[in-house]
Amino acid sequence: MPETAISCSGVWKSYRMYHQRAHTLKEKVLSGGNRYDHFWALRGVDLEVPAGSTMGIIGANGSGKSTLLKVMARILEPNRGSLEVHGSVSPLLELGTGFHPELTGRENVFLAGSLLGQTRRDVASRYDEIVDFAGIAAFMDVPVKNYSSGMYARLAFSVAISVDPEILIVDEVLSVGDAGFQLRCHERIGRLRAEGRTIVMVSHSIDTIRALCTRACWIDEGVVREHGVPRDVIASYQDQVRTDSAEDGHRRAVAHAGTGPAPEAAAAEITDVAFCAGDGTAAVTFHTGDAFVIRLHYRCDAAVGDLVCGIAVYRSGDLVHVFGQNTGQAEVPLPPAEDGIVEFRVDRLPLLAGLYLLTVALHDSTGVKVYDWREQEYSFLVSENLALPAGDGLVHVDGHWTQAPAPVRS
Amino acid sequence: MKSETGLAGPPRPIASPSSQVNGTPPPAAGESPRIRQGPVAAVTELWGARELTANLVRRDLKVRHRGSFLGMLWSLATPLLIVALYWFIFTFIFKQSPVVDVARADGQKPIFAIYFFAGLTIWNFFSTSVGASTGSVTGAGYLLNKVYFPRAILPLSTVLSSLVTFAFEGAVLLAAAVISLGVPSVYLLWTPLIVGIAALLAFGFALLLSAVTVFLRDVAHFVGVFMQLWFWGTPVLYSLQFVAGRPGLVRLLKLNPATGLVVSFRNVAVLDHPPALRLLAYDAGFAVVMLVIGAWAFGRWQRMFSEIV
Repeated sequence: MPETAISCSGVWKSYRMYHQRAHTLKEKVLSGGNRYDHFWALRGVDLEVPAGSTMGIIGANGSGKSTLLKVMARILEPNRGSLEVHGSVSPLLELGTGFHPELTGRENVFLAGSLLGQTRRDVASRYDEIVDFAGIAAFMDVPVKNYSSGMYARLAFSVAISVDPEILIVDEVLSVGDAGFQLRCHERIGRLRAEGRTIVMVSHSIDTIRALCTRACWIDEGVVREHGVPRDVIASYQDQVRTDSAEDGHRRAVAHAGTGPAPEAAAAEITDVAFCAGDGTAAVTFHTGDAFVIRLHYRCDAAVGDLVCGIAVYRSGDLVHVFGQNTGQAEVPLPPAEDGIVEFRVDRLPLLAGLYLLTVALHDSTGVKVYDWREQEYSFLVSENLALPAGDGLVHVDGHWTQAPAPVRS
Repeated sequence: MKSETGLAGPPRPIASPSSQVNGTPPPAAGESPRIRQGPVAAVTELWGARELTANLVRRDLKVRHRGSFLGMLWSLATPLLIVALYWFIFTFIFKQSPVVDVARADGQKPIFAIYFFAGLTIWNFFSTSVGASTGSVTGAGYLLNKVYFPRAILPLSTVLSSLVTFAFEGAVLLAAAVISLGVPSVYLLWTPLIVGIAALLAFGFALLLSAVTVFLRDVAHFVGVFMQLWFWGTPVLYSLQFVAGRPGLVRLLKLNPATGLVVSFRNVAVLDHPPALRLLAYDAGFAVVMLVIGAWAFGRWQRMFSEIV
């Protein structure tokens, strides 16, 4: 497999903004043709998407993100510049691409699958899974025009997340589903990422980019402003957003934009963060009730007197602070002035299904000297544990229901 | 402000737009960025999309017949009714057959209804392919904007779904011929070649017309009317010998690429004659030229489809 999955060099793309569009001969003759201006949506984009990476594209509305996705998916052809794509591409730009109302659910699954670049055999092998997830097995031989909008969305969604391409191109649309859809979608992307597929996604949700992407790219007015590690790119982007606007609506973005207190000249730093299952193997997805380990590798200079390592877990989306603790609070002293590994081990993970973000930090015991602070830079997924009774909320509380003897009616 | 005029619709690639809304200097002119595709690559890509093409054909056929009780049979009912109508007109009203000086290999005069039906099936294959193709790209706008696939499979799938309908009609024709005329001669083996040339010819037209329709919707209407004229300009209802007295007209009819197809198909299917080889060779040449023109035009304009449709 080549090292670069998609490579854009000097891509320019313009749209015609028609003031007047002649569709018929009469209109053409009478009006003297079409009148339009050019709008340059992309103005010389150079971008390489390394194979196996998950690239998040961020930027304001109208900055050219979706155009870039469409160019990468070969739906639009650039006016200038070149595009190289290595591998099969499935674009997910909307739910239910290619669904035909007159065809049955089954027929649409195969039609849509082939439009998304899947072979008939691929779709057939995943058919049961698709129907299972959509939960409408009884309606697969009914034309989709007779579906409720919910059924339609479920089927469209299960087709979308069943694709298994070498390169997946995902637009915002997939994040409009309800929380359950989104979680499934994140899980799917997590799994594809673990399998080494290349993913390019556009999202307005900085949390999603931060949580799922290994690289980020900030597009502004049709040019790449910055690309690289999500943390840095997001920070620059949010700086820009802050500068651009002091409106109330941006307070939240500002509040979460910081990367924490400025680190001291790296006397100690976190070198690696991994999530592991109970047996110590790395994992991305866990189930409620599983054993769960956060393993931190750090480097520490001899000059560091005392060292405290802290973690904080947030729920993606509303950023509820679920839990946080540091080695100081837990009274676990870390030997200073040497590199090490520290683990935070949970025997039974109480978190319910969802995407969670993790902040990790190294500082001194007073919290004044900060050596390293990675704000919500890591993420893990929790899936529903079918062995446990269903429940709502944030955490699983290990209670149980019993019936007390009924009071005697007088 | 830049404006485009002219009938040929498809606007030229932008060389140097005179106005830039967002004030960007345009890319230098002259360098064409288009990823040009050679014919081999284009055919390879089409072949790679064969499953999708098959699915689109299946969709076409299913959608056309879904909800109707007789389904596929309707595509047979129409030509059969037309045959019955003309048979009635020529037998009871005009009392004169438009089929003259035509004899089967065994010397018998052919049955008008079967003779006409044979010409009509191959003509219908060609004309519905071409007629339906005009809207094949414009009708798929919702796909063009969401996924990439070789765009040429859109006109191709309309030709192929007409081919499926033709196969049904052809089977009925064959059954009727066997029942009324006996087992057909070995010349019937020419059929795949004749149908193949018809399909190539139709695909060439389909490529050109589907691409032009994107820029000029009138084409669909124009083609609808023109196909009616073309029907009468092709010896479907009458034999070529019917106009033998007017050599100028015969020469004109022989320039029509559909003539050789209809005559040849009729010869091999119901008259037990060999195909009209010279006309057929002309048709094959015509089909290749048409295919080259169609592929060139389609290839040149397809990059603009997703933005305009």
